[in-house]
Amino acid sequence: MSDRQFVIPIGPQHPALKEPESFYFTVDGETVIDVEPRIGYNHRGIEKAMEVRSYIQNLYITERVCGICSNAHQTAYTGSVEEVAGIEIPERAKYIRVFVQELERLHSHLLWLGVAAHEIGFDTLFYYVWRDREIVMNLLEEISGNRCNYAMPTIGGVRRDLNKDNFPRWQKMIDTVFERTEYYIKVASTEQTILDRAVGVGYLGKSDMIKLSGAGPNARCSGVPCDIRKLNPYLVYDQLDFEHIVVDNGDVLGQVLVRALEVLESCKILKQVMDKIPDGEIRTNFGPLSRIPEGEAAYLVEAQRGELIHYTISDGKNMPYRHKIRAPTLANLPSLVERLKGGYIADIPIVLAGIDPCFSCTDRMAFYDEGKDKKWSWTENDMRKYRTEWFEK
Amino acid sequence: MNPAVTAIQVLLFPGLSFILSYTLYAEWLSRKTVARLQNRVGPLHTGWQGILQPLADFIKLLVKEDITPAAAQANIFNYTPLIIFAIPLASTFLIPIQSITNLWGYEPVAAFEGDLIIVLFLMSINVLAVFLAGWSSGNLFGAVGATRVALMMLAYEIPLGLVAISPAIMARSLSIVKIVDWQATSIQSFLAAPTLPGILLGLVMLIGFVIYAVCLLAELEMRPFDMSEAETEIVHGWQVEFSGVKLALLNGGHNIKMVLAAGLLTSLYLGGPTGPILPPVVWFIIKTSVCVIILSNLSALFARFRIDQMVEGAWKYLVPLAVLQVMATVALSGVI
Repeated sequence: MSDRQFVIPIGPQHPALKEPESFYFTVDGETVIDVEPRIGYNHRGIEKAMEVRSYIQNLYITERVCGICSNAHQTAYTGSVEEVAGIEIPERAKYIRVFVQELERLHSHLLWLGVAAHEIGFDTLFYYVWRDREIVMNLLEEISGNRCNYAMPTIGGVRRDLNKDNFPRWQKMIDTVFERTEYYIKVASTEQTILDRAVGVGYLGKSDMIKLSGAGPNARCSGVPCDIRKLNPYLVYDQLDFEHIVVDNGDVLGQVLVRALEVLESCKILKQVMDKIPDGEIRTNFGPLSRIPEGEAAYLVEAQRGELIHYTISDGKNMPYRHKIRAPTLANLPSLVERLKGGYIADIPIVLAGIDPCFSCTDRMAFYDEGKDKKWSWTENDMRKYRTEWFEK
Repeated sequence: MNPAVTAIQVLLFPGLSFILSYTLYAEWLSRKTVARLQNRVGPLHTGWQGILQPLADFIKLLVKEDITPAAAQANIFNYTPLIIFAIPLASTFLIPIQSITNLWGYEPVAAFEGDLIIVLFLMSINVLAVFLAGWSSGNLFGAVGATRVALMMLAYEIPLGLVAISPAIMARSLSIVKIVDWQATSIQSFLAAPTLPGILLGLVMLIGFVIYAVCLLAELEMRPFDMSEAETEIVHGWQVEFSGVKLALLNGGHNIKMVLAAGLLTSLYLGGPTGPILPPVVWFIIKTSVCVIILSNLSALFARFRIDQMVEGAWKYLVPLAVLQVMATVALSGVI
């Protein structure tokens, strides 16, 4: 390290980070040389907690992995459990799950657009976008009763039905969001002060992105087609007509465009769901869950931030033997580090926010001894022992 | 001059009391304008349409805990807020608002030949105080903010000075009152008999007004030039460690600076507090309110620049434009 280089810690508490996470930036003047992310400030032991609770109780734990992508987590969880248990859900329930999932994508992408505008100091756009996001939030509240954590999917179907009489009114609300988003795309791709802060900032090319295996809009903005809804259709996505949004800008502007264009596609999907939704049951009756057979299943969902994987192992009891969650932000961290390198300090917030990080999804705990190159993890008893020792000190 | 009149001028009107209450109004106007442009309502509950909110904020900050960090250089850290508050306040005494002995007069409280230079000088000194405040706070973010303030000054100071001089060239005086006098008389003669050089001069002065407004936006550290206190990057820049009374003084200083900026824009480019029918103070309030609305409007329209983009843009566009503006003014001053 030369004389001009020094280390700036950003986080765990910093206004650019909506959740506690730590980054050590080695900078040379105003240029970032190296980044060292440290995750683990938001670890809640969710996977462990799921092993001691029944499948029905776990529904509500998975939903609370993250506030923004709660429905994506629940869809993936119910999907994996239904696959193990061999439950086929009714067609109407599939459509309703898609409907809620796409509404959630709308609200998440609009939220991100506002946050990104705030990070580059464009609060006016932030307020406008968030006002339009309220339309989606109101719609979600009307459907599920909640503004976040909708508790819609359940094992074997969904918990609430959609009322057909409301469809014309909902269509109008969605049309408003569509029009406004088209306007924001125009603003973001023509307004010079936004372009100054977005074009070429945090650039990562296609080959690098494939090497670092990013996920979601973060990868699609670098030209990697990776939308699970197209590559591995689940629910009824294979019967719906929508574009696979991929742009090759590779910078912050690309991330804005991918998300804004996906908002438009989601609006189209919502319209198709309202047109195509069949009548029928919203839940199947499958008997008591204590008789779930042995087996394992993984379920892939395209959450707003990227590919979300839930993997369940059942040993025949009424609780999962192991449930593993791979959240998209974890996959995006290596590419985030590459995006930050070589940039300016002033661009750190927008590049950080660019991958739409969700650290509460991501956080994992493991011990690693750098000198000895040794890895280990703690059992519950180890943690209890550590706690007792720590309090007795 | 009568000492009683001077005392009233300094303490009541148009001195301390008027200026301080006017700054609170200016803050309210600015906040309300930005809020309406951003689809919000802004301050609403304290007084009519929230007009007392700035005063309430000021009083609230006065009773908050006043912390001096252990790492700060206590002497500089504790006194710079006072300087940042006092310097713009002193400068406002040089702005023509209203004479209290003559209803149609507008002599400032303190005026002398060359007071324009003093105002520009005091504004530069103020930036130095801001730099010291950030640097002495013993905080990394404070130091980064302070260096950004200094860097920004290198960018906007020269065009700011240049376009402030061009009305002085036309008026052939460095006194703000005489510049206002020249504007009042020349506008009257222009309206009586419009000429081509007069129209050209109007256009040149419009360019000067735009450059001056942009530079003042940077001087006031308002968006898009608020990189010195960018909340998402460096938390609050040079102000990060200030709290309680010191923060109240800093906020007050910023408001006074905004009134000073609006007052200078009015005096140098909008004909000062002169106008038909109404007395000068009313025209002053109308014109400075328009200036505050223009500044707030600009600050709501753009995303924040990066510091390198700002310095580059200032030297690439603002400085040449300001030089051209002054050259055009000099050329026209020979014709008119």
